[in-house]
Parts: sequence; C-alpha cells; structure tokens
Amino acid sequence: MATGLIIIYAIGPMRANVLNNTYGTDYDPNYFFIGQLRSVVLSLVFFFAAFKWIPYKYLKKYAKPIMITALVLSALLWLLSLTGSSLAKCELGECRWFNLGGLSFQPAEFLKLALVIYLADFLARKKEEGKLGDLREFWLPLLVVCGLSLFLVVIAQGDLGTGVTLIAIIFGMLLMSGIPAKQYLIMLALVLVVAVGAVATSSHRMQRVDAWLATLTGGESSDSTYHIDNAMLAIGTGGFFGVGIGNSIQATGYLPESINDSIFAILGETFGFVGLFLILVVFTAILLRLLNVAGHTADNSDRLTVVGVFSWFLAGVVVNIMAMTGLVPVTGITLPLISYGGTSMIFIAFAIGLSLQISCYTSREVIKNENISSRGRLRGSHYASRRRSS
Amino acid sequence: MPRNSHSVNHRLTILKNVALFALAIIAVRLFFIQIIEHNSWVAKANEQHTLLKTITAKRGEIYMMDKGEPVAVVLNQATYQIVIDPTVTKKEDIQKVLDEYAKNYQVANVDEVYNQEGLRYAVMAKNIPRETAEKIAESEIPAVWLKKNNQRVYPEGELASGLLGFVNADGIGQYGVEGSLNKALSGQDGLIKTTADVNNVALSIGKDNVKIPAEDGTNLVLSIDRGLEKGAENLAVDAINNTAATNASVLIMNPNTGQVLTMANLPNYNPADYAKVTDASAYNNYTTDVPYEPASICKNFAFSAAINEGKMTPETTYFNKHYEEVDDWKIWNAEQRSSLYGTLTMRDALYWSLNTGSIYALKLLGDDPNSINQQGRERLYDYYHNKFRLGRATGIELIEAEGYIEDPNEGWGRDSTYANMTFGQNLQITMVQTATAFSAVINGGTWRTPSVVAGQYKDGSLTSATSIENDKVEDKILSDETSAMMREMLINNRGYKARAGIDREGYDVGGKSGTAQVVRNGAYDDTFAELIGSYIGFVAPSGEMPQYVIMTKMWGEGQSIGSGDAMDLFDSISNFLIDYYKIKPGGV
Repeated sequence: MATGLIIIYAIGPMRANVLNNTYGTDYDPNYFFIGQLRSVVLSLVFFFAAFKWIPYKYLKKYAKPIMITALVLSALLWLLSLTGSSLAKCELGECRWFNLGGLSFQPAEFLKLALVIYLADFLARKKEEGKLGDLREFWLPLLVVCGLSLFLVVIAQGDLGTGVTLIAIIFGMLLMSGIPAKQYLIMLALVLVVAVGAVATSSHRMQRVDAWLATLTGGESSDSTYHIDNAMLAIGTGGFFGVGIGNSIQATGYLPESINDSIFAILGETFGFVGLFLILVVFTAILLRLLNVAGHTADNSDRLTVVGVFSWFLAGVVVNIMAMTGLVPVTGITLPLISYGGTSMIFIAFAIGLSLQISCYTSREVIKNENISSRGRLRGSHYASRRRSS
Repeated sequence: MPRNSHSVNHRLTILKNVALFALAIIAVRLFFIQIIEHNSWVAKANEQHTLLKTITAKRGEIYMMDKGEPVAVVLNQATYQIVIDPTVTKKEDIQKVLDEYAKNYQVANVDEVYNQEGLRYAVMAKNIPRETAEKIAESEIPAVWLKKNNQRVYPEGELASGLLGFVNADGIGQYGVEGSLNKALSGQDGLIKTTADVNNVALSIGKDNVKIPAEDGTNLVLSIDRGLEKGAENLAVDAINNTAATNASVLIMNPNTGQVLTMANLPNYNPADYAKVTDASAYNNYTTDVPYEPASICKNFAFSAAINEGKMTPETTYFNKHYEEVDDWKIWNAEQRSSLYGTLTMRDALYWSLNTGSIYALKLLGDDPNSINQQGRERLYDYYHNKFRLGRATGIELIEAEGYIEDPNEGWGRDSTYANMTFGQNLQITMVQTATAFSAVINGGTWRTPSVVAGQYKDGSLTSATSIENDKVEDKILSDETSAMMREMLINNRGYKARAGIDREGYDVGGKSGTAQVVRNGAYDDTFAELIGSYIGFVAPSGEMPQYVIMTKMWGEGQSIGSGDAMDLFDSISNFLIDYYKIKPGGV
C-alpha cells in the first residue's frame, strides 16, 4: 500500500496532466495522490475493523442476506445504468460504479466479499448435511448464485476482470470444499468451454486475444497491441534497478491506465527487477500466510473463507501481472493493495483482515487443543505489520 | 479425522503449488523482460519517447527606405490551423466552433472527416488570424490543437513584386530578393532533441536532451526608396496603358554609390497570391534576370572608349554616307534624312544616333580611320568586357543573368560583329549592367558594384552590417575629361527637350535612346514588327554632378515599341524625381 502511495504520488501529477491535456479536464496535480491516500486510510480502517472489531462468527450468520444485498446492489446499478440515471457512474461505456456525490462505490468488489462469505457458509453447510455434489440440493442453488453473480458482473457491467476473480474464488473454494474430483473437473472444463465461447463470440474480446497472441509471438504492433506493448516497454526499460522514482516516462501518457490496472508496469519501470522481485516476494508471503492460516483452521467454513480470500488475492496478482508481461490477454484487473481505486483496495483489505481474525481464533484453538506453538500467532502479527508497510 | 485432515492438506498443497507455479512463471518472465531484453526495450523506448523538433527560425522581414527611415514592405504574420482528433473531439463541438469563428477558413467537411473510421488527425481550417485563434482556444474543446504557421504579408500590396519575389508553401524564397537572399532571410533553424510525453510535450526527465536555438533570419533593408519606387511604377503603368507596350521596367540608381533606388517591373503580381500567376515570366526581374540587346545605348560605351583612348573628341569629324560596308555587309543608319549626308561631328553622330558614327569610333580605336582591325576590336572588347563589365554579373545581391560578348579574335565575321556591337547589337547584356556602365560614363569614370541592400534592420534601427556578400568594386576606368565630354554630349542630345520645356530650366538632363530589333530564329527581324524601346539618362541641377541615373525599357510581344515611348517614360520619371526629392535647380 505504501508502494502504491509512493508511486501514485510520483506519477499522479503526470496522469492528471495527460487527462487535462487530452480531455480538457481540470485535475489538480495531487488529485490522485490524495485519492489514493484516502483509500489507504479507509483500507486500514476496514482492515482493523475486520481484524479486531467485527467478529466473523456473527458476520457469517448473515451470509445469505449479505449475498442478497450484494446481488441487489449490482442489479440496481444495472437498472440505473439502463435508465441512464446519474447515480450510475460510467467510464468508457461501462457502468460499474454508484455515484454517491463525489465518492464512488463499485458493487462488484462487495460482491466478491459477499461471495466468499456466502460460499464458505454454503459449502460448509452442504458438507455437514452430506449434500456435496447433490444435483438439486447443491449444484442448482450454487449455479444460480454464481451464474447470477457472473451475469451481473461480466454481462451487465462488462467487467471481465472481476469475472475472472469470481471464477477463481468459486473454483478455489470448490476445490477446498471436498466435492468429488470428477465433478470438479467436469465443472472446470464446462466453465472453460463457456469462457472460450464467450471470448470467441465477442469481437472486442477476440481482438484482445489477437493482440495478446501478436505480442507473444513478436508480431506486428497495432492499435490493439498498444496497451501490452507499452506495459512491456515500461517493465523492460526498468532493467535491474529501475529508472528511479519520478523518472517514469511511460507514465506521462504512453501507458494507458498507468495508475490503476497498469501500475505494475510503472513499478517495473521505476524500481526495476529488484523492486518487482521484492513486491513478488511480499505477495507470495501474503499468499502463503493465507494458506498457512487455512491449514491451521479447524472450522471448515472459516477455512473456506480464507481459501476464498487467497483465491481472490491470487487471481488479482497473477492475472494482473501476467497481463502486463504479455502472458495472458489484458482483462482489466487491478493489482491488489497497490492500484489506484478505492473500493477494490478497501474490500481486499477487509477480506485479509477477516482472514487474520480467523488466524487468531485458530492460534488460540491450536494452543488450546494441540499446543503446537505460538509461532503462528506471532507470525500472524508479524505479517500484519509487514503488510501495512508493503 | 485423519483422512479429512490429510485431504485438507492435500488440497492446500494443490493451491500452494498453483500459486507458486504462477508466481515462478512471473518471476522468470520478469527476469526475461527486464534483464535479458532490457537493451532492446530501452532502444524501443528511446524511439518512442524521443522528440526531434525543429525550432523554426523567424524569417527576416524586408524593408525599403522612405525619407531616410526603413519602412517594412514584407512582414511575417502568424496564422493558425485547427487540427482535431475526431476520436476525442465531439462532432457537434467542432461544428459549432467552425460555424461561429472559422467558416471562411474551413478546409474540410465535418461529416466527411467523422465518416472516416480510425482517423485521429484532421486539419479542419487554415490561415486563421491570431485573434480568432485565441477565441477558439478559449472554447477549450478537447483534442483541438491550433497549429501555428508563418505567413508573409505585404503592406504595400503588389509594390516591387518583381524585385521582392515571394515565399512558397515550403517556406522557401522564390525569385527576387526572397529567392536570391533566401539564406540570409531564412536564418538557421534550431533543433530540440528531447524526451517527450505522449502529446509530444518536452519533459525534463531525459538525460540526453539537446537544444540548439534558432538563429532568426536577417531583416533586410533595401536601398530602394519606397516613394520613388511607387511613383515610377505608377508612371510606368500609365505608359503601358497609353502605348502598345505590355511591359515596362524602370531602374533608378545613384551613379556615385551604385545604390539602386528603384527597380520596377510592370505589370506587378500579388506576391501574397503568387500561385494565381499563370505565366511564370511574370515573376521575372527584367532588370537583372533577362539579358537583351541594348541597341544604341551602347554607343555611349563605344564613344567613351575612343575618347578615353585619346582617339577622338566630340568635335572629331567623319563622312556619313548613311551606311558602312563591313565584311561585305551593308550596315545602314536608321536615320536616313538627306541633310545628314556629308561631314559630321561625333557629337552630331550621337545626337542622331548614327551607326556610321559609332563604327567610326571603332575604326579610330584601331588607329585606322578607313577600316576595322584587330587592335580596334581588342580595345573595344577591353572596354566593354573588362572595364564596363558588360556580359558579366555585376555582383548586385540579386540573381543575375550574365549575357555574353563575342571574343574579338574568334568566330566568323568578327569585324561586322564588332561594328554591330558599337551600336548595341550582337551582344546580350542586362539592364543593371547597362545602367552601372552608364553610371561610370557620367560619374567621372568610376565603375562601382551596384547594390540593392542598404543594411539590416536590427533593434529598431538600420545598421550597415549584413551577412550579404557583395564585394564592392571601385574601378576608375575613364578619365574625368572623358566623362565630362560624354555628359556634355548626352545633355546636347536632349537639347530639343529643354527647348520644348519638357526638361525644366536649371537642370542638366542628359540621355540616350536605344531601339533594339528582336532576334528571331538567329537573324534580325528586318520587318521591325517587334522592337524593344529603351532609354537611359541622368538628371542633375545645372552644373552639378548627376545624382540619379534613370533607365527605362518598354516592350510587348509582337509590338513595335520605339525608343520614343521609353523616352517619354524617362521624361515623366525624371520630372517626378525632381519633385519627389525637391531638387533645387542649379546656377543658371
């Protein structure tokens, strides 16, 4: 988060300048830094709220209402955008935000959290009931909820990035739930077929894939490869140590979405391989810590929650960075905890906060039951502090 | 439940491996891009980020003199183009701006521009003046640029267009001063090599930024007197309107300095709209670009040579039988009146412009009154070519044609050629050569390089230093006595003009006419269907050295323009000049 703040402090004025010049807007040079600072402060508040103040045990009792609220909010946004209401905030033709008088709120982020909480409860319940893998009792409600979520995000909001994250959350948690491997693989294959079909039937998605293939195979540059080309150019020019803070040239308008989806590329230009490697190490540490928490959690639904957060975080990191390095097509996904963008940072911070809360129970229970070690707890707080500084 | 716990751990391991595998791929990929491919990405980045931009030097302006002060006749004006990015600029917005401010400057149809898919750059309007451009800028429509251009403007309209020339669409001077002094006027463009943002705005981030400032072009001040130029042009236009001539050229210079005061070529064209000219000959500066046969005006030079060699005086006599036979050719006088048959003085011969007289001067140069010989030819050549510098570029700061003069010892029919040369045939010279040589004849005998540039306009005043190379030659080629005799005979030529009151009392006005036959298909056109009329002379207060040499030339294709028309133009210009400079009459 601190890294994100620093980099946005450095390139925010450039971004403002580019937007002002190109679109005649009137952003203050510090607009993006202040926005990011606000997000970081809010994220820390939400992180501690989730970590310390909101008992997850109570929260997950409301899993169903939370999920319904999240779906209703997304549906409401869709309806508002269809009626052309000013309450729906649209950018580049996609309406993904509620406009709340200066503040904007992205319901898809809330939907991710809601889905994690809901699926954790649902899958754990079905396991207890022995209904895992049952067509009517298990697959039907699951498909309805997941299908509705995906529809609202991918079709109504045109947000493929969040769609990918949702699928990652669903399959991460399904894997953990203990459904029969055969069913799991069939579902995975089915989703892949649907995904390929969705891509192949949409010309603008096909264009992204073509662009990606062109980049990967060293083909001709074109308008559609511009984003990937310039992301890789930024990363490539960074070299071993990077060009240094404030010296990014790609951020002066060459690289689209330089402060949100493409921030990893700017980080690469600024801090070089060393910087990116350290960031990867921190991400890896967070991910492994989440798995560690999951491994030490006795409660099945808590463990599923942590795995859901893990999948969410992993999808963000991997899909974003792979897109920036030309390994997968660009989908428009933010880099967790670093990218500019309030709602996504707040919700992932909240989700990690919840996981750490779970790790606290875990530790206590582990100490009580198995007397293994207090290391987990110590490490938990250690990581928590590290995360704040990352 | 050991099995359950085992299966949990197994699944977590799967997740862990998936995560580590993906992150490992990313790390390898980053290593590949950032370390292995680093140099090629840096090269690509330099290509994309480096902005090479020319800083256009400001083109020098052109001034003329008016009452001792430089006044601008060619200025620069910034005009603007509206350039848009149709993918960002809204169609209604640009349409509104164009309708409101730039309707007269619009060059592209809005609908057509917006119908072209993927178009990101379109010039919508051109030549918009600054004030209008500022208003458009205030409307602050996204992705509209106002691109600056420099345009020449001519406060005096068509004045002296043949002398000034014009600047073409590429910013390169053509014809006249703009063409011949293009380098000095252009200055030296500067260069910016810098790292730039996506909108090509220079950034301070880069390390190898280079900035070479532009050196603006020289503001040239011409020695041309604006009022005199204007007056002479008006009179020349009148002359064209009142005669069969279609063209007229006027050259006025100070014989004591070589400074050109008027260089007019009528009809003028509009240099701001030069492309409308259909016949490129309209761009010519006939005073320097186009050689012609000066005809009888050359007699001044043949007579000067013979006098200066001590072979004759105005009182020297010869027998005029209306023709001379040279190389079995009969060369006739144009003036055939019977009263002139017999013994005449050389003064009379010049007065009546008798070819036999100038041929006699050539014979005297050869020390043989009865025939033309090698010594005569060589001496005439020495005067024409080496002393009067005829058939050679004068060194004026303009593009010049040289013309030619036959070698005295080569070719067929040398004697007849040289006989013809005494009255200005069989040679090609320009008006500026003629007027410069004539200046030497009357100014006491010194040939001086003519000049049209007085200096440069710098920091609000005229300074003489310029970057224009013009090696000034000062060559005393005739004795004071020769020059005095020539002046006396030239004034005598116009005796009847003084008696008729055309030349005012108290002024010495001298001159000589020239009517040139046109060479067609390598031979003189003896039908006299087309003639070029010319006249050269000087004007001064009585008894004083002349300060002004005036030369006129009039012609028209297929038109027989006698020297009378050119002389009439001379008369009106000489009188205008006296009034214009308020020259007081000399001691009566």
